[in-house]
Amino acid sequence: MAQHVTERDVRDIAEYTRIHLDEDEVKQMTIDLNDIIESLKPITEYDLEGVVPTFHPIGSLSNVMREDVEVPGFTQEEALANAPAKQDDCFLIPSILGEGGDR
Amino acid sequence: MSELFEMGIREIQAGLAAKEFSAVEVAQAATDRIEANDFQDGGVNAFLEFTPEMAREAAARIDEQLAAGKTPSEIGPLAGIPMAYKDNMNLLGTRTTCASRMLENYESAYTATCVQRTLDAGAIPLGKLNMDEFAFGSSTETSAFGPTRNPWDLERVPGGSSGGSAAAVAAGFATVTLGSDTGGSIRQPGSFTGTVAVKPTYGVVSRYGIVAFGSSLDQVGPFARSVEDAALALNAISGHDALDCTSQPVDTDFTANLAEGVKGMRIGIVPAFMQAQGLTPEVKDKVAEAAEHMRTMGAELVEVDLPNAQAAMSAYYVLGPCEAFSNLSRFDSVRYGYCEPGHKDLGGQYEASRAKGFGPEARRRIMLGSYLLSAGVYDTYYYPAQQVRTLITQDYTRAYEKCDVILLPSSPRTAFKFGEISDPMSMYLSDMFTVSLNIAGNGGMSVPVGLGVDTNLPIGVQLQSPQFKDENMFRAAAALEQVYGKAPIAPAFARKAGE
Repeated sequence: MAQHVTERDVRDIAEYTRIHLDEDEVKQMTIDLNDIIESLKPITEYDLEGVVPTFHPIGSLSNVMREDVEVPGFTQEEALANAPAKQDDCFLIPSILGEGGDR
Repeated sequence: MSELFEMGIREIQAGLAAKEFSAVEVAQAATDRIEANDFQDGGVNAFLEFTPEMAREAAARIDEQLAAGKTPSEIGPLAGIPMAYKDNMNLLGTRTTCASRMLENYESAYTATCVQRTLDAGAIPLGKLNMDEFAFGSSTETSAFGPTRNPWDLERVPGGSSGGSAAAVAAGFATVTLGSDTGGSIRQPGSFTGTVAVKPTYGVVSRYGIVAFGSSLDQVGPFARSVEDAALALNAISGHDALDCTSQPVDTDFTANLAEGVKGMRIGIVPAFMQAQGLTPEVKDKVAEAAEHMRTMGAELVEVDLPNAQAAMSAYYVLGPCEAFSNLSRFDSVRYGYCEPGHKDLGGQYEASRAKGFGPEARRRIMLGSYLLSAGVYDTYYYPAQQVRTLITQDYTRAYEKCDVILLPSSPRTAFKFGEISDPMSMYLSDMFTVSLNIAGNGGMSVPVGLGVDTNLPIGVQLQSPQFKDENMFRAAAALEQVYGKAPIAPAFARKAGE
């Protein structure tokens, strides 16, 4: 089985995708990702010289604009309704510049 | 006379018009059945959220309008019809969980356009339906809230990811349900449960308010026990929506040619598909039998080739995870979604929350997508996958010069047992006959054609149409229904003889 990603790569990807994996999970994810990536091989073996890519199934779409008119949007209350933590009409998050600031 | 839970849309509406029963009675019959059969240990587990109050209120409003002298068709094309929705569709007053811990407590902030259109058409909302987590799967086993059981055999999966939507129709809980299909998530469970299951052309139905998986692949469609009910439901939900700029001004009446028969229709058969590795003999025989029936009814069978179909699987498993990675980056544990408490820094909160909120398959697809889009790797997989998309689209265009619909299997096999397919790669093969269609953006549907001779479980055949010619497959499906009959309710849930 070809090694497409190493455990170190998987740790990097986990950091980038903001998903914490413990060491056992890193091992299993490395196996799974290598299996899956190996199965994608047909894509790399096609002669695609000169083939224009299609990024969207409806090819004729260009920028779709709406009339520039005011429509009601979310109220602040609605926007905050599902927030796990909030304070004074704001989303509440842990300190991002280290501890010690005023709360 | 049929029982209420067995009736199709026209039959319910005729009964409402003739005052044989009220909409509240229709709603009550449906909610009683769900309570008796869905929740208890060993039940179907199709519903993640059950809304009997909402159903009763909607039904009462229909009854008021009937009492005021309106006919059901004046009230709306789905007036009095019990419906339920895959739990990736927002409906105000319900949670939208995507069967994930990540969204376990997420209260819908608005109502999805497709759901709203059914409510405006008079539907009775019964609740929200189980699915694979974030629609990543083909068995509903990845649901964080337990799998849905197949009403035909409770030891087996209903397919997925729209397994709850399929099971609810097969068990006679709802007349029509909505599901979504990114790589086969409507058609494969349709086959596993013997229901009519429609994935329309991309752009026929608005995606506004559906939690996104693969934005260039996702499409909403109905499950029903008859081709006509599916067509009526699609009529109600299709058409342009200013809130989804990819939705198209479709005003097709999908019931218009159901009675025409297939005489003169050209049915495409792909010989290579019939020899595909993994296709079970009983499914192959059913596809051949359906083709022969259509020929007998006056259709012309023509051989067509989709030479790049073998690359479709790999292209799909590149494009799907890439789009999913992008879409699922929005779950930040701050604005909504699961938040792991007790972290003193934001990065730690992100990482712990996303690790606990997402199940294994979701984590796998997010990480795969991230890898495939990374610098240096993008040119090896993602860009070629989009080029393959061009080839697949061209294959279909060429094939449809010779035929009006293509007939093929929906799934290579009938429903499997829980845990029978455990490694991700084997599970992905469930989608071998369905993913090409999403890549090209065309329409397809699964139509039940009876039970397999070896497993005695439902088999669906798949009919595919050119882009925005979905009426072609409905016409062919209605002809098959003439032969095979409407989709039955699964025997364990059907009325017993003499009842």
